[in-house]
Amino acid sequence: MTVVTRDAVTLAPFGVPEPELQYSAGTPAIAAVDLVREYPRKRKDPVRALQGLSLTVAQGEVHGLLGPNGAGKTTLVKILSTILLPTSGQATVCGHDVVRHGRDVRELIGVVMGGDRGLYTRLTGRQNLEFWGALQKVPRKVLRSRTEHLLERLGLAAKADARVETYSRGMKQRLHLARGLIGDARVLFLDEPTMGMDPVAAREFRKLIGELRDEQRTILLATHDMTEAESLCDRVSFVRDGTVVATRSPHAVAGLVSAVQGLELDSADAALAATLAEVPGVTSVTTDGATTRILVRSQDDFPRLLHLLADHGVTSLRTLRPSLEDVYVRLIGDRGLEV
Amino acid sequence: MGTVRAGFVLQMRFYRRYPDLLVPLLTAPLYGGIFAMIMRYNGRTDLVGAVSLTPFYMSLWWFALFSGGWIIQTDRWEGTLEYLVSAPADFAAVVFGRVGATMLSGVAAFAETWLFARYVLRGDVAVRHWGVFAGSFALTLFAMAATALLMAATFVLARNAVTFSNSASFPFYVLSGILVPIALLPGWLQPLSEAVFLSWSADLLRASIATGPVPHPVRGMVMIALLGTCALAAGYTVLRRILGQVRRTGELGLR
Repeated sequence: MTVVTRDAVTLAPFGVPEPELQYSAGTPAIAAVDLVREYPRKRKDPVRALQGLSLTVAQGEVHGLLGPNGAGKTTLVKILSTILLPTSGQATVCGHDVVRHGRDVRELIGVVMGGDRGLYTRLTGRQNLEFWGALQKVPRKVLRSRTEHLLERLGLAAKADARVETYSRGMKQRLHLARGLIGDARVLFLDEPTMGMDPVAAREFRKLIGELRDEQRTILLATHDMTEAESLCDRVSFVRDGTVVATRSPHAVAGLVSAVQGLELDSADAALAATLAEVPGVTSVTTDGATTRILVRSQDDFPRLLHLLADHGVTSLRTLRPSLEDVYVRLIGDRGLEV
Repeated sequence: MGTVRAGFVLQMRFYRRYPDLLVPLLTAPLYGGIFAMIMRYNGRTDLVGAVSLTPFYMSLWWFALFSGGWIIQTDRWEGTLEYLVSAPADFAAVVFGRVGATMLSGVAAFAETWLFARYVLRGDVAVRHWGVFAGSFALTLFAMAATALLMAATFVLARNAVTFSNSASFPFYVLSGILVPIALLPGWLQPLSEAVFLSWSADLLRASIATGPVPHPVRGMVMIALLGTCALAAGYTVLRRILGQVRRTGELGLR
């Protein structure tokens, strides 16, 4: 078994000595086995946020957690970052048990939660980073240069000495990320990091996360944003009711529901569209300008549909592959506004 | 030490950003004036010096207790509490550093109270036993910071720590004998005073400005150090246990 120090596997952009924690190069960055987490309630049955969740994330992987509100994503992130204890099951970060070796885990991780909270808003961005860096045990000299580096890298240098309460949402999120990086974390937990950001800020933020991926950091990204997951993640796990229902690469998820979801053809006339809508298994027929999209329930419905189209002289058509969002809706279920 | 220092620096920065935390510095002279007038009205001008220093203890206690509650409360409101416990640094050391910074405000409160007592109230507050004064003063600051850590630990469990901390002051003012002499308390209550370090501190400080020898100075200082050390150990232990508990219950992030 090859044992490497963190120096050997980190593209440390800060040029600083790394902590002496050691772990095997083959050890998963994150491993959760049968994790259960219950929240006790007075005079009521406990709420089960995680129900035997298992997950493995390799070192250097960007792994997406997709699921609706209440699925258990944040609870998982909190357990892995030692904020919460699991009711049962086991979880490790770079081989360190999150319950028994919490301190070792905390030296390896950075946590970035979405939203406005989590920063000292009356202090400046620089003061926040200096404080959180000290808590990450970064030596004082290193901390000063690392703070400057991160402020510069995340585009906050111009507002470094302004109070955080004057920052925009996007700036706060970047400061959150800088805080997560101040300890040169090997493993980053990002819980809906672009929540509430405008599209331009979110795109810039995703670019930053892409850079972190290139530095071989392991990132666990809990998100609702399919574009984000598709563009950033090596693999995604769909979480429903406290358990992982599937894990695939974003490009392979289509196979989870069906290789082909429907057909697209040059605009069908109204009569043909009405006929198509009557075919058993067809779930929707929509015409948008020059194209008509036909969605089916399963692949078994295709032969009947193709015969009908051939009978009507349609010779040109394209298959529709399901997007990540389509897969999400199929796997998780369309719950509307239910929480 | 780096963690304690980080907490200390953070709290000093907060004092600049939240000047309202220094309100006791405004009220201390007023209390001093009230106590001195009561003594003068009753013809006990010999006690004016001693009672006019009482607001120092009240301010120090308020700084420590309120800060303990305020630290935990603001970390809940700001959502920083969860980040603090997910950092490798010892959370108790952060809190101890922060309450340690509040002791500097206590030093300022003493200077202000003494100057007001000496030059405005014309009380006899000249320090006559410097060794006792310096030793008991330093130990009092340490014991107060340790007690504040213990209080802060219990505030982790309280959803509204500030309200709780506001109401916890007066029992200690009474038990420590800084408002009324312990000899006037009911007999069954008096032994409890010995477990409050502030009662030993107040005795030594008053004795250090009095004429004549200081009775049992070493015993007093040992008691302050002992009670402070016990509070520190209890604070660390309780905080660790409570953090374990809230990690189990999931109440850490609740506002």
